[in-house]
Amino acid sequence: MSFEHVFSLTVSGVTVGMIYALIALGYTMVYGVLQLINFAHGEVFTVGGYIAASTLIWIGVDASTPLWVKLGYFALALVVSVVVTATLGWLIERVAYRPLRGRSRIIPLLSAIGVSIFLQNLLIVIFGPEPIIMPTAIVPAGFVNVFGARVRILQIIVIAVSLLLMALLTWIVKGTRIGKAMRATSQDREAAEMMGIETNRTISFTFVIGSALAAIGGFIVAMYYGSLQFDTGFLYGLKAFTAAVLGGIGNIPGAVVGSLILGLAENWGVGLTLGLLAWLFVVGLALGLYIQMVHAPRRRIDHIADEFRTPEYEGRLKAVYRLAPVVAVKTLLSERTDALVHVSARHAVQLMAGNLVLFAFAVVFFMNGDVQFSSKWQHVISFAVLMAILMFRPSGILGENIQEKV
Amino acid sequence: MAEVVLDVRSITKTFGGLKAVNDLSFVVREGEIVSLIGPNGSGKTTTFNLITGLYEPDSGDVLLKDESIAGLKPGQIYERGISRTFQMLRLFSNMSILDNVLVGMHGRTRANVIDCMLHTPRMRREEAESVARAKEILGLFPGRFPASRHSQPALSLSYANRRRLEIARALAGEPALLLLDEPVAGMNPAESLEVMRQIRDLRDMGYTILMIEHDMNVIMGASDRVIAMDHGEKIAEGAPQEVANDPAVVEAYLGKRGADTAS
Ligand SMILES: Nc1ncnc2c1ncn2[C@@H]1O[C@H](COP(=O)(O)OP(=O)(O)OP(=O)(O)O)[C@@H](O)[C@H]1O
Ligand SMILES: [Mg+2]
Repeated sequence: MSFEHVFSLTVSGVTVGMIYALIALGYTMVYGVLQLINFAHGEVFTVGGYIAASTLIWIGVDASTPLWVKLGYFALALVVSVVVTATLGWLIERVAYRPLRGRSRIIPLLSAIGVSIFLQNLLIVIFGPEPIIMPTAIVPAGFVNVFGARVRILQIIVIAVSLLLMALLTWIVKGTRIGKAMRATSQDREAAEMMGIETNRTISFTFVIGSALAAIGGFIVAMYYGSLQFDTGFLYGLKAFTAAVLGGIGNIPGAVVGSLILGLAENWGVGLTLGLLAWLFVVGLALGLYIQMVHAPRRRIDHIADEFRTPEYEGRLKAVYRLAPVVAVKTLLSERTDALVHVSARHAVQLMAGNLVLFAFAVVFFMNGDVQFSSKWQHVISFAVLMAILMFRPSGILGENIQEKV
Repeated sequence: MAEVVLDVRSITKTFGGLKAVNDLSFVVREGEIVSLIGPNGSGKTTTFNLITGLYEPDSGDVLLKDESIAGLKPGQIYERGISRTFQMLRLFSNMSILDNVLVGMHGRTRANVIDCMLHTPRMRREEAESVARAKEILGLFPGRFPASRHSQPALSLSYANRRRLEIARALAGEPALLLLDEPVAGMNPAESLEVMRQIRDLRDMGYTILMIEHDMNVIMGASDRVIAMDHGEKIAEGAPQEVANDPAVVEAYLGKRGADTAS
């Protein structure tokens, strides 16, 4: 098990993680503003890939096309795909979700599933059930040597472009007026409306941005794997959704973190021996302990309202985390006196349980150091991750975008 | 006499047979502080919701500076110049203190999506102006929102400061009329006193204020005029002292208390 092997697995993991992230961001942003899981989002992604691929097929690129012309075609395909897909996302919200707003949550969910089935069948009707093949001439071929490992140039491009898009998105959400409108809408739609924010336009904008990112994701997958099928989006959608839940649904940085973890877990999980995987659990345990001992208490202390802030109170909160299990369990069993301390104690116990699980995994994996999962396990790993997160931390690693009304 | 800012004309709102607001009429004039009082459930918040467009009146009309606003969307009414705070705070608690105020200005800034994406000079100028104005508004509450805290989330504020921040956010709309729903609810006497002074300062700066209040010290100390409601109807109106001693008002409060102890 060489370093190069681990490194190239890592690059693949990050690449796939970035692709998941491009899709997961759409799930998470829509959930943020509407508390709706847009199950049609996976199909939006497929449509993006199909439009890009079919544009290139229609233009007819081949190996003899000069590079700069290819770049032009590439840009054209990208623009067409993004525009069409973003429009589709906008339309889905207008037609399938907006009229159902205010109904119980199951109804738009059913509508989403309907849209998803509709789009898959639309793709079959237009393009047929067989996969659409990306013209290979357009795909950046070639490899570079990084730390002795062969890395596809495409992988580097994918990672760079995704990072750029995420930086752009962060800037939109944090720094611009429409981003403020998005955040305000996702926290309290009615109040946002009362401040003169056009929430409907903000929601539309969210769908447009999410769909544009998914389109780019679809284009990338079509290039990365060479082809797409009408139902590709189902699995990708599910994985990206898992990633969004893993990072905390509604939480934008969470979607990226969740996606990276999932991409890496899938690639490392089937490419490494248990002995090496065990080290991941060791790292996870170190991180978990850091969160329990340092990060979580600090965050909690920030939540103390000014009027209660005393050194003793801060000390008490810290003790709950640091001296868990004793203090935490004692607090949980005692009379419910202070909400913040109580919540912290429950949190501390959860963190501790998580750390114990990580520890147990590390031990078991070390003891079976030579075993390796076969690649058939890849999807199993993703869904094991989903199950684990739903069981131990349903709000995700970075926490759900909770609608705290204070 | 000063110009009429708000003219409420016999509005009625029923919730499944319950007349929450019944044929209510009153006016608020420029530069006044008018307090709306009444026992719990007498329809005060509902009146606010009717004025701000959260509910549409079943009948009657609401005029802001002689223009009818009944039936408009809340956002439109906000942009025409009515801002409010809420009885149960509704800040954007995960957003920063400054952003909360900036959101209040949202309707005033004109930059569109394209401007945002391209970061045009117009947008940058507008943004700089907004931030400067937001800081100015936060500065109306001396010592409560030091610049070092502007980027902290609203949820990190103390309860009383959150209520102040809500007022600041409402001011960001540059309102012709400011509606405050129980601005000192949950505050201790010292804090109430400070907020009461701030409300008076706002009036002296030219704001027109309609507030719902239960705290008698604040009502007496701040209002120019008091309107008392019971069961959705206006039962008295006049100078604070007059209304407080009005037999119908005393009866409404005592009757309520009597009924409460009886049940
Ligand atoms: N959306 C609604 N649906 C049904 N009934 C409502 C609604 N809003 C208010 N009510 C009812 O209307 C009546 C008046 O309520 P309102 O909130 O206006 O009272 P209030 O004077 O603000 O009381 P408080 O002092 O407790 O805030 C109450 O009986 C209340 O239950
Ligand atoms: Mg009320």
